Order: sequence, then structure tokens, then C-alpha cells
Amino acid sequence: MSYAHPEVLVDTEWISNNPPNENRKLVEVDYDPVNGYEKGHINGASLIWWKRDINDPIRRDIISKKQFEALMSKNGITSDTEVILYGDFNNWFAAFVFWVFKYYGHENLKIMDGGRKKWELENKDYTTDEPQMTSTTYNAQPPDEGLRAYLYDVSRALGREDSVMVDVRSPAEFTGEITAPPEYPMEHAQRGGHIPGANNIPWATAVNDADGTFKAVEELKQNYEPKGVTPDKDVICYCRIGERSSHSWFVLKYLLGYSKVRNYDGSWTEWGNMIGNPVEK
Amino acid sequence: MLLDLPILKKGSFYFIKDGDTDLILEDKTKRGLVVKETSIDEKLTVKADKGMIHDMDGIGHWVPIRWYFSKDYYTLSQVMVHAEAMDQKYTKLRELTCPDDDN
Repeated sequence: MSYAHPEVLVDTEWISNNPPNENRKLVEVDYDPVNGYEKGHINGASLIWWKRDINDPIRRDIISKKQFEALMSKNGITSDTEVILYGDFNNWFAAFVFWVFKYYGHENLKIMDGGRKKWELENKDYTTDEPQMTSTTYNAQPPDEGLRAYLYDVSRALGREDSVMVDVRSPAEFTGEITAPPEYPMEHAQRGGHIPGANNIPWATAVNDADGTFKAVEELKQNYEPKGVTPDKDVICYCRIGERSSHSWFVLKYLLGYSKVRNYDGSWTEWGNMIGNPVEK
Repeated sequence: MLLDLPILKKGSFYFIKDGDTDLILEDKTKRGLVVKETSIDEKLTVKADKGMIHDMDGIGHWVPIRWYFSKDYYTLSQVMVHAEAMDQKYTKLRELTCPDDDN
């Protein structure tokens, strides 16, 4: 049995044999470009730096439609361009950017399965040369709010039988033992725990540990359905800042074909900091 | 195990532990950080366990978690100089971010 939308995935071998060109752009999405893209990247790949390029520079939000259009222009992307994303940190941020691309209506979009991790395991070549891009005119679509959950959406979903929340963080974060690992001191919340009623299905349970590629469809179904995360429900995924949850959002929406899945990008750093929000441990 | 070693000195932000061959200075603010490599710390020129902390922009920075001062070359009082300097640095930082109301 194949994925619901197999067209959204390419493997590393395909990338080796199909380099970027005028109509196909390869984009590395990094959380930490200093230790990623700048040290080496796949030939022809441009960089999207999650923090700088995908987030509004002042307030906490993803970029606006205008900012997204400017980013596409800078990366030589038009509405018709085939875009392939890959990145560091197990493709978490590539998945987040995939979510943002879909939010603004980009159609022809793929992820390189396994990201930098698999590319490096296969000892494939990197370069430090940065491609020269010709700027384009990009007209984004109005935001598709059906892909995004806000705080009030989550509050409304509490206790509803037709909704289910998937907390994709580690068990230690879910139980409130920690609010963030010590590696990420900027991502703590005032309270530890989880949104009441949420299921803890860590993002990593959707990938093969050896190379970071997505598990087969039957394994994925077994990962979610027995916990009540079924295609008939309204599913909301969350984590700490919304990047790991976009990875699970991608799995549920594109690999398993669930129709109603939203990413709550405010995630625990919003929920766990709000006065009065209910918390379960 | 490092956890089981006797503590020779402790400050607000450090421990000095008694290893077999080393006096081990631990930075308490790095508790729980995963050790990613052990190499020479260029500032103190001794072997150190290092981890990575990501800043507001996501950029990872190598930071020492603990330093191994060989007993062949260092005395406890020499290690204390580094420990106290670290304590003072963190105390100043704390005062900057959480100033005492009495001051």
C-alpha cells in the first residue's frame, strides 16, 4: 500500500539524478544554518533560514503573504515552480516550511525523505557554492486557515469527541518533567504538562530511526489509529514551537491522507504560558 | 560515574569534583546538556566536555559543560580561581536580569 500522496516525497537518489533547474528549485531549510547550509549543502540548493525567513521579524507569527511572496522572489520561485525542501534537524523545519508553502497555496511541493541526515549517511557530496537566483514575481494565494489552529481553536476543541489533539513532543515534555531540553533555553514555558486530553505520539515514532525516512503506510496507521487519531476526526498537532508538529501534520495529511489536520504553531510555548489555560500532567 | 564523585567545593554555579586523575570543574548552569564532544577548551587549555546550546536565532554554540584539570599540573586552589570567576560572571548576569529590589 502506498502513501495517500506519494507525489510529495522524493528520495536522495532522485535528487542526485534530478538537479535543480529553471523550473525545479531545491531549498535547504535550516534551524541552524551556521552548522548546516554554510558548512555544506546539496549543489544548487538555496537557503531558507527558519528564524530569519519564515518568522515575522518583530511579533511572534509566521510571515505575511507579502513577505512570503518576497521570499519566493528571492529564491527564484514562481507559482508553477516545482520546489523540493530538505533540511537539518530531521526535516522538522523543512516540514514547517512545507506547511507555510501550503498555507499560501503553493501546489508543486515535495520533501526529500530523510533530509540532511540521510544525505550525509550516504556520504553524498555537499558544496559551499551558493546558487545565483533571478528574482521572480510570485502571487501567493490567500492563507488557507484550514491548515492552521490558533489558541481559540484549541480551546474550542477541548473535550469534543469529534476532535483529537496530538502532542508530538517527547514523553518527558508531555508529562511536564521538562518544558524544554537544556539545548533550547529560549523555548521554555511557565508551566509543564500537556493540553488536557491530548495523545502523546512523539514525532519520531513516524520515522525510521536509522535514516530519518518516513515509515511505511501500514506502520504509520498503527502508530495513530489505535490511539483514536482517525481520519474522521478533526486533528490538531502541536509540540513546543510548531516545527515537530508540522512534521506529524505532514505525515497525517499527505502520507495517510487525513482531510482535517491542523498545525497549532503557537504550541506549548503559547499554551503553557497563557494565564488560566488548563494543563494536564 | 561523574555523579558519584566526591564534591570538594561547590558554589552557586559550580561543583569541583575529585576524579582519579583530574579535578573536575562542572558548570551547574549546563546541567542536563548532552555531551557532544570532548576536546581542549581553548580558553582554559584543558580537556572539556562540550555540548551545544541554540540561541534565539537557532544558531548552535559549543559550550563547555565540565573541565578536567589534571592533578599533575593543577591544585585545588588554582581550579578555584576559575570556579570563582565563573561564579562571579553568572552572579553579574543574574543581577542584570533579576536585580535585587533592595539595591
